[in-house]
Amino acid sequence: MAEVVRRLRVRRGWSRPRGGSRTSNTASRPWLAAVPPVALLAVLFLYPLALVVQQSLQPDTGGTSFQPYADVFASDAFREALWTTVWLAAGSTVGCLVLGFVLALVIAFVPFPGARAVARFIDVFLSFPTFLITLALLFVYGTVGMANGLWTDLTGAADGPFQFLTTPWGVLLAEITYFTPFVVRPLLAAFSQLDTAQLEAAGSLGARPVRIVRRVILPEALPALAAGGSLVLVLCLNEFGIVLFTGAKGVTTLPMLVHSKAILESDYPGACVVAVVNVLISVGLYGLYRVVSRRARA
Amino acid sequence: MIGGIRFDSVTVAYDGNVVLDALDLTVEPGEVMALLGPSGSGKTTALRAVAGFVRPASGRVFLGGQDVTDLPPYRRGIGMVVQQYALFPHMRVEENVAFGLKAQRGRTKVPKAEIRTRVAEALEMTGMAAYARRYPRELSGGQQQRVAIARALAIRPGVLLLDEPLSALDARLRSDMLAELARLHRELPDVSILYVTHDQVEALTLADRIAVMDRARLQACGTPRELYRAPANEFTASFVGNANLLPVTVGSGGGVVFGGGEIEVGTAGVAPGAKATLCVRPHLVGLGDGPNRLSGTVTEIQWRGSTHRLYVEVDGRRVIADLRELKAPPAHGDEVTLHFSPDDATLLAAGVGHG
Amino acid sequence: MLVHSRGAKWAVWALFLVLFLPLFALPLLVVLGASFATNWSSVLPSGFTTGHYSAATRGEALQALTTSLLTAAAASLLALTAGTWAALAAAGLKGRYRRVLDALFVLPVAVPSVVVGLAILVAFSKPPFLLNGTREIVILAHTVLVTAFAHQSVSAALARLDPAYEQAAASLGARPAHVLWRVRLPLLLPSLTAAAGLCFALSMGELSATMMLYPPDWTPLPVLIFAATDRGALFAGSALAVVLMAATLLALFAVSRVRTRASYR
Repeated sequence: MAEVVRRLRVRRGWSRPRGGSRTSNTASRPWLAAVPPVALLAVLFLYPLALVVQQSLQPDTGGTSFQPYADVFASDAFREALWTTVWLAAGSTVGCLVLGFVLALVIAFVPFPGARAVARFIDVFLSFPTFLITLALLFVYGTVGMANGLWTDLTGAADGPFQFLTTPWGVLLAEITYFTPFVVRPLLAAFSQLDTAQLEAAGSLGARPVRIVRRVILPEALPALAAGGSLVLVLCLNEFGIVLFTGAKGVTTLPMLVHSKAILESDYPGACVVAVVNVLISVGLYGLYRVVSRRARA
Repeated sequence: MIGGIRFDSVTVAYDGNVVLDALDLTVEPGEVMALLGPSGSGKTTALRAVAGFVRPASGRVFLGGQDVTDLPPYRRGIGMVVQQYALFPHMRVEENVAFGLKAQRGRTKVPKAEIRTRVAEALEMTGMAAYARRYPRELSGGQQQRVAIARALAIRPGVLLLDEPLSALDARLRSDMLAELARLHRELPDVSILYVTHDQVEALTLADRIAVMDRARLQACGTPRELYRAPANEFTASFVGNANLLPVTVGSGGGVVFGGGEIEVGTAGVAPGAKATLCVRPHLVGLGDGPNRLSGTVTEIQWRGSTHRLYVEVDGRRVIADLRELKAPPAHGDEVTLHFSPDDATLLAAGVGHG
Repeated sequence: MLVHSRGAKWAVWALFLVLFLPLFALPLLVVLGASFATNWSSVLPSGFTTGHYSAATRGEALQALTTSLLTAAAASLLALTAGTWAALAAAGLKGRYRRVLDALFVLPVAVPSVVVGLAILVAFSKPPFLLNGTREIVILAHTVLVTAFAHQSVSAALARLDPAYEQAAASLGARPAHVLWRVRLPLLLPSLTAAAGLCFALSMGELSATMMLYPPDWTPLPVLIFAATDRGALFAGSALAVVLMAATLLALFAVSRVRTRASYR
């Protein structure tokens, strides 16, 4: 040991390994590193988005005007789609919040064997495409599906009572089913931070479960609920696959309108107008979501 | 080039908040300097200014005589060990130790064969040679500490920065590691060590000199003995070791007045009639009659195995006495007399520092 | 801990099952059941067959699966690169610039994917970028759609990364590039693979933008599933959907294996 140290000392002299006074280039211009990804985003996303805005101001007749906006805003189809989109999204969000809160409560605070597996399953659920839910609902509630089959088998009637699938209610059910995990996940994360001693203290003081939920759990869960809820709201506003798979002629949302105007009617200025409106609503709400979730984290 | 650190009026501010105020301090080559202070005193900021992780708002930092204020951290060639060690979790012990050597490029590139020998040497110095193939997560806290030191030493720095290196260890390991660090320093006498700590025992044990920091400022700097025997101000007196601090008035005849009594103590440099603070270490206070008597009531008595600690109220002031285990300790409420030798007391100018 | 009496517990669990089973478990089981059936006019499907699977694993369907896998792999790699790069660049910036960069890269989450599809269709159907009708346009659209998710997970991981590691590396003389390559990226690896898995799954199921862009010779599996259900071939569509889910889960599982080997802490 001492021998090693002696060798070390003789050979090194403990000099500093480098001198020089150049300062690094990247350290003084950190924004340089941001150029390539921003350029990529600009070409693939911002430039196309700008073209959509530009095209929304260029009617087929030539020139630049707000005529396409006037035309689209005047059409019944647009107004109905706007209304359908908004109430479907709002309704789905409320449904997801209520259902998600109940499910997360049980998983977190009344755990049962397999509760963790259920939580994992909910995670996996997020990685499936949305239209899968609609496809499944066709078999459960479709005209010849499971529920109606059960009804006709039992009653001998020719048709079952469940005919809501091609109505907005079918879309609502599918959206609530698919997007509830987006609420459950942040809630479970928030609940895991909650001190269980607080609940036990409240319980030992004689508070009933409903009161504990309202007074202790709900306030803690509010930020997660707000963040999850606004994300679901935006995703519902933008949802396309679920509505498309329902195949309901009566249910037209803004994304459906964009698709049908562009692909089926080749009315690009009209499609672009609807797209701009849809983007404005969604981005506005998403901005709100970011603010809320930042508050929630702080 | 030799080691050594010099702070030349270094000021660091975050968002207009001064966290280090015009620090002037020199660490000689081969010296161990402890930066001692409570949290928020600016001691860690001073260390980070040497490492290059904070930029001074004004002032210069010199390493080995060279101005490094504008150099990025990776050009400074310092060894650093932090509280939580920051061992790279995805690398084996030997890869951690080799990291600094492999990172060298260009003129200072280290040949492979030399990397191997230097890693082996650094691990042997810290007694970790047997653990070279382990991952950090497979090591205990004390072992991780040794690897972190080996990693810092492998690049043969002129200056070693230690930021609360023992605070994550339990008490027994801490005293073992203190002995270990002292041994390492004996084996590497040319390396300057800047040792940041809030623990006075670590500072007193290890340091050649101690710089006491408080509220972003250097309060005192000197050898442990100087600071302990003759602290410059109340803060230093109370932070380096325990201290009884008594408000006194300097008398005309070469003594001071405390409460109703005269106390004999050196009053060089203090004008008669001035207010001052008398500092006496608790373990230098004796029970019973002697020179410089203090009489009062016992308010608390603690048995600490080898010692008894008495809290005595003297003229409305609490005086602590650490006494060798007493056969017949006084009881709560007893009147007792304490004494101390005039040589064991220090007179501090009042109003300097804070209480 | 919330409900103490045995009876109340069972009641709560019963409620959970009543909500959970029909809403979440049933849909997957139903699709699985339908994929093996030829008929469903009663409570349970009837006419057991594996014919849909033999059809779903050859010819057009097999090609669509390959298309989806290739698209998802390419898009997630591109998105991971761009998203990680942007997150790292943002971490090196200060205050407002950092927020602007972060906001730019999460914007695609908020824009409806149909609109992304339309925008890319509009932009790349004319010079200077003429990509209409190529497979690249599908891959690029998927990249745009999933980059935001990659960026968000890498940003979050970067924020959690203890700066002590970088500083220890820098104090040992490592330049920023060396620190990035040997310390930061290896420590981020678990998050990177998780992000890659997320991007892959999202791209595998992407339908909205794809519907507007896909050329006939590059038909991803979701489009084929839609085509099948649209013409009423629900059982064949179910088999295709099961194949899609299985492929996605297999890929996620493979990625999670990488993650467990790479998590050091």
